[in-house]
Amino acid sequence: MPKFLHTADWQMGRAFTRFETEDGAALVEARFEAIETLAQLANEHQCDAVLVAGDVFDAQTVSDRTIRRVFNATRGFTGPWVVLPGNHDAALAESVWTRAQRLGAVPENVHLALQPGVIDLEDQGLSILCAPLTQRHTYGDLTEPFSGYETPEGFLRIGLAHGSVQGLLPDEIDSTNPIAPDRAEASRLDYLALGDWHGTKQIDERTWYSGTPEPERFRNNEAGNALVVEVSEPGANPKVTSLPTGRYQWHQWRETLAVHSDLEQLLERLNTLPESAVVDLRLEGSVTLAGEETLLKALSVAEARFRSLRCERSGLQLAPTDEDIAALKADGYVGEVVESLRERQEGAQDDVARDALAILAGLLREREQEVGQ
Amino acid sequence: MKLQRMRIEQLRQFRKPFVLDNLQPGLNLIHGPNESGKSTLVRAIRAAFFERYRSTAVDDLRPWGDSAAAPTIELDFEHDNRVWRLTKSFLQRKRCDLVVGTETYSEDDAEEKLAELLGYQYPKRGASKAEHWGIPGLLWVEQGTGQDIEQAIEHAGDHLKSALNSMVGEVASSGGDDLIETVRSQRDTLLTGTGKPRGDYQQLEKDRALYEREIGELKERVHKYQEQVDRLGKLAHDYDQAEAERPWEDAQRQLEEARVRYQQVERLEQQQNQEKATLSQLLQNHRLLQQNKEHLEGLSRQLEGRKAELDRAERDLSTAEAQTPMIAGRLSEARTAYEQAEKQRKLAGLLQTRQRLEQDVRRLEQQKQVLSQNLAKAKEYHQQLEQARQQARENRIDAELVKKLRATGNQLNEETIRSRTIATRLSWQLDAGASLTLNDESLTGQGEQQLLEESTLVIPGVGTLGITPGGEELASTRRKLKALEEDLEEQLKTLGVESVQQAEDRLSAFESAGRAVKHADELFKSLAPAGLEQLVSDQNEAEGELEKARTQLEATPKPDPQEDVPALEEAEAAFARAGTALDKAESDERVHQSSLSALKQARDNAKTEWQRLADEEKSPERQQQLRQITADLANIEKQQAELEASLERREREIREARPEFLRQDIERYQNAVNQLRQTQENRSRELRDIKVRLEAWGAEGLEEQLNEQEAEFDQCNRRYQELHRRAQALDLLLNLLTEKRQALTRRLQAPLQKHLNHYLSVLFPEASLEVDEQLRPGTFSRGSELGQITELSFGAREQMGLISRLAYADLLREAGRPTLVILDDTLVHSDSDRLEDMKRILFDAASRHQILLFTCHPGNWNDLGVPPIDLQSLKVQAVAQA
Repeated sequence: MPKFLHTADWQMGRAFTRFETEDGAALVEARFEAIETLAQLANEHQCDAVLVAGDVFDAQTVSDRTIRRVFNATRGFTGPWVVLPGNHDAALAESVWTRAQRLGAVPENVHLALQPGVIDLEDQGLSILCAPLTQRHTYGDLTEPFSGYETPEGFLRIGLAHGSVQGLLPDEIDSTNPIAPDRAEASRLDYLALGDWHGTKQIDERTWYSGTPEPERFRNNEAGNALVVEVSEPGANPKVTSLPTGRYQWHQWRETLAVHSDLEQLLERLNTLPESAVVDLRLEGSVTLAGEETLLKALSVAEARFRSLRCERSGLQLAPTDEDIAALKADGYVGEVVESLRERQEGAQDDVARDALAILAGLLREREQEVGQ
Repeated sequence: MKLQRMRIEQLRQFRKPFVLDNLQPGLNLIHGPNESGKSTLVRAIRAAFFERYRSTAVDDLRPWGDSAAAPTIELDFEHDNRVWRLTKSFLQRKRCDLVVGTETYSEDDAEEKLAELLGYQYPKRGASKAEHWGIPGLLWVEQGTGQDIEQAIEHAGDHLKSALNSMVGEVASSGGDDLIETVRSQRDTLLTGTGKPRGDYQQLEKDRALYEREIGELKERVHKYQEQVDRLGKLAHDYDQAEAERPWEDAQRQLEEARVRYQQVERLEQQQNQEKATLSQLLQNHRLLQQNKEHLEGLSRQLEGRKAELDRAERDLSTAEAQTPMIAGRLSEARTAYEQAEKQRKLAGLLQTRQRLEQDVRRLEQQKQVLSQNLAKAKEYHQQLEQARQQARENRIDAELVKKLRATGNQLNEETIRSRTIATRLSWQLDAGASLTLNDESLTGQGEQQLLEESTLVIPGVGTLGITPGGEELASTRRKLKALEEDLEEQLKTLGVESVQQAEDRLSAFESAGRAVKHADELFKSLAPAGLEQLVSDQNEAEGELEKARTQLEATPKPDPQEDVPALEEAEAAFARAGTALDKAESDERVHQSSLSALKQARDNAKTEWQRLADEEKSPERQQQLRQITADLANIEKQQAELEASLERREREIREARPEFLRQDIERYQNAVNQLRQTQENRSRELRDIKVRLEAWGAEGLEEQLNEQEAEFDQCNRRYQELHRRAQALDLLLNLLTEKRQALTRRLQAPLQKHLNHYLSVLFPEASLEVDEQLRPGTFSRGSELGQITELSFGAREQMGLISRLAYADLLREAGRPTLVILDDTLVHSDSDRLEDMKRILFDAASRHQILLFTCHPGNWNDLGVPPIDLQSLKVQAVAQA
């Protein structure tokens, strides 16, 4: 009973912007580990093969080291790997693949599907119908020829493609590299393994996007999985199991703070996140000086706890209460300055005024603390 | 605040308790000589307030040598309608107690209460210094520091402002200035004075630009890499296609075909050339035969020509011979005419010679006659000249001497006349008959005589009368007269004349003779300029020539008058003409003779030629040759026609094969083959190049690098944005704080200015003193004088310092704050007038504030209107009481 692992969109060689250097490096490292995890899962689930549906590399010109490390990471699974070029690593005249071959980095058991056609895995009884991208962008359906491909009797017909299934994915997704939604049926496929969409997504009974094994964006849902596909015999319905592979969970929260309890709830939710979280917070609304102090303290704690925490507070106004002001003991003209900044911040949504107010409040608090000592 | 009583004990020289009592609410004048303890009292008040009771830095309070002392100060004062008593002990017994009405404070609480009341602070450790003194530092003036107001105001700064809050509302800020400084220093780590980034901020800005440039460069390289990849794809495709289709082989085939066709045409062209050569030989042969034929046929035509030439030569000869008699006739005529003309010319010459000689004879005769006349006249003029010369010789007289003589004569006359006037006049009228004898001269009748000399008048009969003319002058006149007469006589004698008149006449005659000589000489010279002899010789010569001409004339034969003789010129011209005609005739004759002989020669030659040809023309060999040639010619012409037809056919065949296009085809196909192969080779080479290049570039991991650079740029940019926002925020904050603080200062300035003006008007009626932002007296102006207070004299600065302090005191009092003014030996540098004004000011201020004025010059303050407190006597009393 043939069984294989379906994965895609490793995007190796990507560096992460918007993170501290150290965090970015850890996220890159996690992606290499994800490949090792895939190999390990393939072994655990006694898979016959691993199919990678495109975008193994994020770019054509990644370093030799990255190329070698990617293939090294596959060594855990000694069965056949069929690797398909996607739009990021298309099989151009000169490509990351030709370089990998020149480097001698590609192990024997890794089949590179650089030409459209069928790769028959005799021992496993699998015919892999491959639709590699050989140009950066294609506007025709590269899986179209699948219907014409003949496969040995009794072999499963497994399609391997990279692109957008027409009419099913959100409009904003790049409409290049289209794939007909009824491809599996039209080309008599037992299963169509797709890549390009970074979240795990089922299109129909036989058509799936595996998603990326390690999340690398905030926006993808259901990222960080691989699919184990089991087809009892040609024509039978595939049994698809989604396995978690991701190390880090990416969370992006947009929160509006209005009253103090909003802040409390936010901090509680933040507390429940695991340490492996990568968090992007964007706060709006307003907060009192005391509230901000609480927030800053909580963020400082969270920063240390999570893999990465970033908080965008420029949309969050400071709204000092009378008590805040009294606590600051901002008398005389300093009090006037506080008031003036408050007005400016509220009136014109003035970021500079907000920052100035925060700085002033900080200085006054420090002074109070000194006096207190 | 009114200090009522102070008591000190174990403090410097006040080892025993000392009480200063009955202090007045207004002015208090405390005096005593040096060392009497004035400064100790001031120090005691300061220590009571400023020094921490537990301070170990107040050893100066200890009486000298008394290590067990506990310096104690006790102050009673009234403030805010309450009674305050402060008791403070230092060193051996550290204590502080403050009783306010019914409330009691002790230790630190007591001290804090006081500091808050008066507005000062304690040092963190050690002795209290000026910067801690706050408001009292301003109002309590130590000896010799009255002028240093700026420092005191700065130290009072925040205390003043907070103290003055009630004046201007809640505007001042506790610690505001420190805050401003903090904000400023934080801002200055990010921004320069002009708002440009500095430090990390600036570095980030630079880094950001650097990253941007590097990213740009990387992107450019990635772009190039991708272009190369695309190029590689296209090339590989083209290369494979070309290898499959092999288009150069088609071209090669076409090339071969074209070559075969061209070779065929070339063969045709070869044949064509051979036949052309044959034809050209035939033509050459034909031309030679034709020439032979023409030559043979030409003999008869030549013979006719020769005959015609012979006839013409004979005709010419006979024509020439016919002309011979006429030419000979002309020659003899010309000779006759020449001889005639020669004869005529000789005759004409003879005639002309005669005519000339006759003319000469006539002319010479005339000449001779004129010369004879001239000679006669010349002789006559010569005679006249001789006569005139004779005359001149006879009458020669010196004109000068005559002139002198004339003068002497005149003088004598004048003298004579004068002598007559003075002479004795003797007139007589004698009776008839009667006579007298005067000087032996007989006088009769009637007369008169002038007498110049002694005279003797004999009157007959009577006797003799002597007459002597009177006067001396008469004598001199007579002498002069006599001299003149002698002189005249002498001159006359010299000149050889009788009288003056005669001299004059002779002179006139001499002069006229001179004129005659001149006239005659001129006439003579006009006729005989070279003299008479020359004239005679001329005449002789003319006569000789005349004779000779006559002889010649007679020797010349006389022409026959009947003969018509032309003029000589005419005859000579005719002679020349006849000569020329003769030359011509002779020359014509010679020409004719030579022409004749030439014509004869020509006629003989022509005859010989004609004879020779006539013989040849008639020979049988010639006839045979001519027939042979004609036959050969016909044969050749037939061959030629056949060849030309063949050539034309082949020419058409070649033309239709278009050899030039065939050549171009060959070239074109050859090029195509080369080019197609070359293109493929180039592709192959470029493929290799690109592959090598891409391998090298690919190894750099450009996009991964780009990714990393972008990550770093992003981070740098984030940090930059943070600092940017922070810089802007700090800038804004600093501006706002400064602005508000300035606004506050401006609000405080006004009331202070009011009080300052109040005092200043007493001291300098027309002056003004501005208060600056730090509430310090700044610009001082008086009339046109303008300057900072620090530029004034020491005395004036001290006065200004004092009134500024009083103004502050007024301001503080209005704010409900305690105001105690302590002046330690102040105003010692003021002159008496100023001191007088300052006393009025102090008196005025004392109506609002308690003032303690310590001095060692009580005399200066006699007129202050308050009883002075004599420290010395108080001390004595204290001892007495003890």
